[in-house]
Amino acid sequence: MRRLLPWDYGVRNLFRRPSRSALTLGGLSIVILLVLVVVGFIRGLEASLAATGQPNVVLVYAMTSGADIENSAIPGRTPALLAASVAGVRSQFGEKFISPELYLGTRISVNDQEGLGLVRGVTTAAPLVRQQVQIIEGTWPGPGEVLAGRLVHSKLGCDEAALQPGQTIRFDGRDWKISGVFAAGGAAFESEVWCPLNDLQSALKRQDLSLVAVTMDSADAAADVDLFCRERIDLELKSVGEMAYYADLQKHYRPVRMLGWIVVCLVAGSGVFAGLNTMYGAVVGRIRELATLQAIGYRRRAILLTLIQEATLLACCGALIACLLGLLFVNGTAVRFTMGAFMLRVDSVGIAIACITAVILGIVGALPPAAKAMRLPVVEAIKAI
Amino acid sequence: MKSSLYVAALASALSLSVGCGSPASTTPVSSAATTSAVVNGEKYLLAEEPDDAVGVIEARETASNGDPLVVVGRIGGSDKPWVEGRAAFMLLDASMAVVAEGTESAEGEVCMGDCCANERAECTTLVKVVDNGALVPADSRQLLGVKENDFVVIRGKASKDESGNFTVLADGVFIRR
Repeated sequence: MRRLLPWDYGVRNLFRRPSRSALTLGGLSIVILLVLVVVGFIRGLEASLAATGQPNVVLVYAMTSGADIENSAIPGRTPALLAASVAGVRSQFGEKFISPELYLGTRISVNDQEGLGLVRGVTTAAPLVRQQVQIIEGTWPGPGEVLAGRLVHSKLGCDEAALQPGQTIRFDGRDWKISGVFAAGGAAFESEVWCPLNDLQSALKRQDLSLVAVTMDSADAAADVDLFCRERIDLELKSVGEMAYYADLQKHYRPVRMLGWIVVCLVAGSGVFAGLNTMYGAVVGRIRELATLQAIGYRRRAILLTLIQEATLLACCGALIACLLGLLFVNGTAVRFTMGAFMLRVDSVGIAIACITAVILGIVGALPPAAKAMRLPVVEAIKAI
Repeated sequence: MKSSLYVAALASALSLSVGCGSPASTTPVSSAATTSAVVNGEKYLLAEEPDDAVGVIEARETASNGDPLVVVGRIGGSDKPWVEGRAAFMLLDASMAVVAEGTESAEGEVCMGDCCANERAECTTLVKVVDNGALVPADSRQLLGVKENDFVVIRGKASKDESGNFTVLADGVFIRR
């Protein structure tokens, strides 16, 4: 009584019908690649918002602006008041980590092509507070210059080359020369244009600020900023931890993420049906062969296992191909969304989900046709055409 | 057999490369967060209710900077009445009630929306529990055992600046049960 079919038998079977195997492999690879793209979208969105917030950074903005910093207007003296009144603000070499910022959404023209972009007026204190920011090309902006995030081209829907140092963009009635390009570790800042605060205030004829970002010595010290805002009600300020702010934004995107996961399930489900269809075809064409195996002494369970082995191997190869394609062509692709732009991420979680999906596709796709083939009596099956 | 070994090797290499290449978190690890100190709150709790308590609205109007005063009110008047990790909270005048944002407010009611921000400011105050002039570094909920909507009588001093910002610096709190 033989127990299991040799491992090689299942592998060799895949090469006996190369066209059918190649087609099934292609179908499975596409299904898994789709899963990977959707998971990459969800992971990219989550990572973008998560990377933007830091635990010891507090945002101070207008009490009446709701949760929208773009609508916020606070007195220009707020940074000085915070520096003088709040203990626990991080400082280095006498420089306090307090970044006054003016933030707005505006139309930006690049080579006569106009798009809705995000502009942040900053001072040299901004990199102290936004420590993810790194200039990857060019220099910090001087008067009349801007620093472009590396995903601004995606947000504006223009060519990346048009936003290289030396190029000119136009917004709020002024031309601005690009002095450099920055990255921010996947944070939402990467889809923003940064310019000197004074220049932006002059261009907009505004003296107020949108927000002040403050780095505290510890996350616990953020309460002192809150206390300041509650005491100085004449300033009409409120404070929120940067992580809490972006966690709140994540809630707005929960329906999008839920939809993403539903799409993952639907794509995987359609993959199972496609796999079932292919496997039914594959098994029906091999009924005599399977019956012969039974006749020479192999148990039904052993034959069932070899069929699952074939399908799972094919699905796993599909997962490998999909992951390689994903890493080469999907990972890092910029996607535009309301808050800016973010990059699709094919990370370990996405790959794990793709591999698990492949295994499920292999097992679930092979079981019903294999079980059906095994139910036929051996004598009848051997006579099958 | 060989082909299956190749598949396994490829899978391992792929998972390893992705694992190693995963971008490190950009969020810096915060320095050891200074947690709120463990302070015995009993010395700030009054056994008997102080006399001559006035409401928050009256206190805001009549008290001058440094005046001793006794204020009665309800903890609330803000969507988050607590200052995390500090002995400070918002106190609402006892005659006022807060209703949800978007709800039409009647006489003696203010809503939590921006539309009522000024009215809310007039009938609320920040209470800071102080010890020798310094704010007690402990969360009021743990320190005093109070919760939102508790009626409390605060004994302390008024702190008022030229801009009209009014705060009660409390040295004793009585909780009406």
